[in-house]
Amino acid sequence: MSMINKVRETVLSILNKNNYGYLSPIDYNLFAKQAQLDLFEDYFYVYNKQINAENMRLSGTGHADIARQLNEVIDTFTQYKVLTPAVLNPGAPAVSKQTFDLPDDWYTFVEVIWGTSCEEGTSFSNKECERVSEYEIRRLNRSNLTAPSPQFPAYIFSQQGYPSTEGSGTGNYGNLSNQITLYPPPETSCTLVCALTYVRYPKDPVWTYSELLDPAGRPTGEAFFNSSISGYQDFELPTSDFGDLVNKILQYAGMSIREGSVVAFAQQEQLEQDREEDPMPATKKRTK
Amino acid sequence: MAYISQYEYYENNGNSPENKNWGSYQYVSLEDIVNNFLLMYQGNHSLVNNEPRYKILFHAKRGIQELNYDAFKETKVLQLDVCDNLRFVLPPDYVNWIRVSMWKNQMLFPLTENIQAMSSDAYLQDNDCRILFDINGNVLRPQNSELDQARIDKTKKSIYLNEGSPYNGYEGWCLDGEWYFDWTIGARYGLNTETAYDNPTFKVDQKAGVINFSSGMAGESCVLEYVSDGLYNGDNTTVTVNKLFEDYIYAYIEYAILRSKHGVQEYIVRRAQKQKSALLRNAKIRMSNIHPGRLLMNLRGQDKWIK
Repeated sequence: MSMINKVRETVLSILNKNNYGYLSPIDYNLFAKQAQLDLFEDYFYVYNKQINAENMRLSGTGHADIARQLNEVIDTFTQYKVLTPAVLNPGAPAVSKQTFDLPDDWYTFVEVIWGTSCEEGTSFSNKECERVSEYEIRRLNRSNLTAPSPQFPAYIFSQQGYPSTEGSGTGNYGNLSNQITLYPPPETSCTLVCALTYVRYPKDPVWTYSELLDPAGRPTGEAFFNSSISGYQDFELPTSDFGDLVNKILQYAGMSIREGSVVAFAQQEQLEQDREEDPMPATKKRTK
Repeated sequence: MAYISQYEYYENNGNSPENKNWGSYQYVSLEDIVNNFLLMYQGNHSLVNNEPRYKILFHAKRGIQELNYDAFKETKVLQLDVCDNLRFVLPPDYVNWIRVSMWKNQMLFPLTENIQAMSSDAYLQDNDCRILFDINGNVLRPQNSELDQARIDKTKKSIYLNEGSPYNGYEGWCLDGEWYFDWTIGARYGLNTETAYDNPTFKVDQKAGVINFSSGMAGESCVLEYVSDGLYNGDNTTVTVNKLFEDYIYAYIEYAILRSKHGVQEYIVRRAQKQKSALLRNAKIRMSNIHPGRLLMNLRGQDKWIK
């Protein structure tokens, strides 16, 4: 049975127990998405906290190695994609030699690969790019020892579309979507190939349903879970997050139906869970 | 770098140049050094953390430069003819010279460095020795100073007892019926041994990027042994370090980062410094490759009678 339905049943059960009201499928899907994103981001902060705990000798090995377990969850969101060159100017067919469009679902990068494909045979060198900032790339390019090279390439985020090294500096804005620009540029007879390994956002959870029919075949208005309907998407977080998901969704639902006691209950549950999982109890509250 | 097959080692898989991989196993590439350092010496539980790769690359290259100057025994050798201008332009990857020799009669003659000035800048002057200027107020210069011109014209005399010496060609002096000889072996008491040298001399003009020779070198062939910094051309693929120095390079990078990082305790910096120095010493001893076989020929001379 899918987790998204179990979570919904639990949430509804808690809400209905005290006659707090009904949570519609549309609201549930919105809250589920928000809850999953919250917990997904939390993984990175908790992971960092666990690393600090390890450095303070406050973490164990084997089953007590929490950082490894968190890492395993994060790793399940790792994706690989060969990026497409960015269109330099809307309406013009020319594409950039150095700038590439990023996928929409990236959360953080694992590795950016710089390679070239040349006319006189493929010469793809599998080199890892280093992320540098806008002000660093200029200094690096002027440096003899550290200028980006085919062995040690670099990239910057270039969200304005036009990287400063291309074009004549007309001040036009290019594609405003997320892009990266790789250095160094390819040789004249070659084109740059960029592959990205990244951690993606979890897919939006969608609880799909059908309506119950009465004996005469007419819809009753009551929804029941149906995972075979197009668009269905379960939570992508592990089962260990079940309780967190229920608590988060309850908080949002409580806000929605203006029931402070539901929010308070969910928050209390959340705090309890956080306290148990806190690697450094001296710190009272998890900070982001 | 991945291991290569023996066929690739000996014949470069049939590609050119055939000798590309010969001896390559002695070395570790710059790319491997940076990658290994990132993997093994930087991370959540290491002393070095959250440092950009370009910093590690910079310190790795600096370490390699230092090793090239005095620890590696990898000298470069270049032979060029010296023409009438008595000048040898330094090679593009030159950093410092080790030995300058003259190739003559199928033999190498080590040359000595001249203790006097061999070349000079000059300003034009009038008869009252006043310096002459152009309309922009810049001083006027001749093409060559008198010193340079005399050397090129082979009229400059030398304090060395070679063909530039004022006494060169004189077999002796007849004075009051007595003959005096300058060159009698063992008889020239008071000889200045520092300048008792028959071959041409040289002086390196580092700023001008040339070696200036005395006039006897015109038309001869010069062999220059020199050191580079191992990074010439900016081509990172050719930058390598002998494996005997691999651990030292990691220690050097670690130390270089820790010493300039804010908030690192001094005892950690000192520890890194000591480790770096100890590894350099070890590597130098290994590199000197002292073993009985090498000492044998030198020690054979120990019982020689000096008459």
